Amino acid sequence: MKASLVLLCVDDEPGVLDAVVRDLAPFENAFLIETASSVDEARAIVAALPAQGRALALALCDHLMPGVTGTDYLIALNQDPLTRPARKLLLTAQAGHDDTIRALNQGGLHHYISKPWQPDALRAVIREQLTRYVLERQLDPLPYLAILDTARLAEALRSRNFGDA
Amino acid sequence: MRRTIVLISGLLLFLLPQFLAFEGLSPAGAITLGMFLCAGLFWIFEPIPIYATSLLVIGGQLLFLSKDAPLVVAREFPYAVAQAPTANSFMGTLAHPILILFLGGFMLAEAASKYSVEKGLTRLMLAHFGTKPAYVLLGLMLATALLSAFMSNTATTAMMITVIAPIIAVLKPEDRFRTALALSIPTAANLGGMATPIGTPPNAVALGALASKGYNIPFSTWMALAVPLTLVALALAWWLLLKLFPSKEAKIELDLQGRFERSRPAILLYAVGGLTVVLWLTEALHGVPSTLTAFIPIALLPALGVIGKKEIRNLSWEVLWLVGGGISLGNSLQNTGLATWMINLVEWGSLGPVAVLTGFILLSIIFANFLSHTVTTALLVPIAISLGTSGVLGDAGSMIFIAIAIAIASSFGMSLPISTPPNAIAIATGLVTTPQMARIGIFMAVAGLILTLLAALFFWPLLPL
Repeated sequence: MKASLVLLCVDDEPGVLDAVVRDLAPFENAFLIETASSVDEARAIVAALPAQGRALALALCDHLMPGVTGTDYLIALNQDPLTRPARKLLLTAQAGHDDTIRALNQGGLHHYISKPWQPDALRAVIREQLTRYVLERQLDPLPYLAILDTARLAEALRSRNFGDA
Repeated sequence: MRRTIVLISGLLLFLLPQFLAFEGLSPAGAITLGMFLCAGLFWIFEPIPIYATSLLVIGGQLLFLSKDAPLVVAREFPYAVAQAPTANSFMGTLAHPILILFLGGFMLAEAASKYSVEKGLTRLMLAHFGTKPAYVLLGLMLATALLSAFMSNTATTAMMITVIAPIIAVLKPEDRFRTALALSIPTAANLGGMATPIGTPPNAVALGALASKGYNIPFSTWMALAVPLTLVALALAWWLLLKLFPSKEAKIELDLQGRFERSRPAILLYAVGGLTVVLWLTEALHGVPSTLTAFIPIALLPALGVIGKKEIRNLSWEVLWLVGGGISLGNSLQNTGLATWMINLVEWGSLGPVAVLTGFILLSIIFANFLSHTVTTALLVPIAISLGTSGVLGDAGSMIFIAIAIAIASSFGMSLPISTPPNAIAIATGLVTTPQMARIGIFMAVAGLILTLLAALFFWPLLPL
C-alpha cells in the first residue's frame, strides 16, 4: 500500500533521529516516516509532498537547532493552510517557558514530549495524535484500523453507517 | 487505461446485439440484451461505481424502451408506442415497495445507531453467555447475526469491532483466539443478512423479481425459510473457529453495563421500532404486507423528531438505487422476452431440476466471492425466474425457491477480503490474514452449497407458502 500520510521528524542530532525512527517503526505499515536534520531540509520535504499526492499528518520537532528553531517551524506550519491540519509535537529538552508558550499559542502545539523519552510512551502519544488526525480529517479509517486506536476508528466507521452493496 | 478499455468494451457490448440479428429475439429484446451485457461488464469490473451502473440502466431504459423514448415516439422502434411501457414504470422502480421496505429498515437502523440501541442490545445479550471463551464467542456471533438481520452487515460489523476491541486488547498478542474473535464478526454478519428480507440487499433483488411475477413473500415466511439455515451455518462456523483458533484463557471478562438512553426521542424509537418489528414478524398472522409496515418508521421517526435531516442524509441511498436498477433490469429481461430467449439457448430439459438448482446456487456462491452480492443476484435471478416460468423447474414453488436460494447462497460468498465489506473491515484490523479468512470462507461456501440445496429440495417444500 502506498502510504499517503507522512510523519516528519526533525532533529539536528543523527543519533536522536535514528532512535525516534526505530521507536516509531510500527507506524511504517501505514505511514511514511521522513527525517530531516534541519528546518530547511524539513521545508524541502514538506514542499514536495503535494506533488506526490501525500499530506503531512504529524511533525515531531526538536526545539533548539542551528538556524530556525523547532518552535518557529511549527508556527510556520500552523500558518500554511496545507499543513495547518497536521498534528504538531515538540520533542525537546531545551525549550524554555516562553518558547513553549509561543509554540502552544501560535504554533497550535498538540503535545510536548521531553527528552529523554520512553519508547512506549512516545508510541502512545503518536498513536493518539494520529488517531485524532484521521478522525478530524474524516479520512477512511480502514487503512489505520490495525495501527491506531481500533475502537475509536471502528466507532467512526459505525457512525458513517454505510450499507452493504 | 484499464478503466477506458472496460468503458469502451461496455459500449461495444451494448451496440453488438443491435447489429447482429439474433433469431427469435425482438428488437426490444436486443436492446435489453445490450444493456444486460454492458451493465454486467460494468458491475463486474467496476469502471464506475456499481450504483452508478444501476442508474445508467434506468436511464437507458427511459431513453430506449419507454413510451416517451425518442426512437419509440419517432420511429415506433423497438416496438409500437402502444406496447411500450410508461416512463413511470421504469422510474417507479426507485420507489419499488421492496425498496420502501429497505428504507424503513435503514431508518430504524440509523435511529438505532444514533441512540446506540444496538450497542445496548449487544451487551444485554452477551450477559447471558458467561465468561468461558467458547460461549463468549457464541454470544458475539449470535448478537452479530441478530443485529445484521435487521441492519446492514457492514454497519453491524463496524459496531461489533468496537465491542471486541477492548477484549482483544487484554488478550496476549500470541493468543490465537484473537483471530477467532475478529473472524467471527464478519462471518456472523454475512450469515445474519440472509435471515430476514431486509437483512441484506440481495434479498431485495430476489423479492423484487418475485413481486413482479405476482408472488409476494411475507416477512415471516422468508424468516421461516432462512433462519434455520442461518442457525445451522452459525453453529458450523462457531465449531470451526474454535477448532482452528482455540483460546488459551480460562475466562474472558466483558464490559456488560447495559446503557439504554431514556430520553424522549429514544423511548419513542423503542416504541416505533418494537411495533414495526413485531408487525413484520407476525405478518403471516395479520396479513399486513411488510412493505406497508415499513412505512411506520418512515412516517413516524422524522415526525416524532427521532431522526432529522442529518440522519436522513446519512442513509445508504446508493444501495437502494443499486437494488432498484437490478430490479428494473430484471423486469425488462422478462418483459421483452430476452430471458426466455436466453434460456432457450441451453438444452435444460436434459439436465433436470436438481442439476439446474445446484448450478444456480453454485454460480451464486462463486460470483459472490468476487462480486457484490447484490450484483450477483441481479445477474442470476431474472434468468432463474424465467426458467421457473418456462416449466423446466416444475411447478411455481420451484421458481420461488430458486430465486430465494440464489439470494441466500450469495450470503455464503465470504472467502476473500473483497467478497464483502465486513470482510474488508476484519482484514483491516490486522488480526486476520487472508489465508485464515479463506479457510473459513471456503468451508462456509461448501457448507452453503449443501445447506441451501438441501433446504430448497427437502425443507422449504414442507412449509406453507
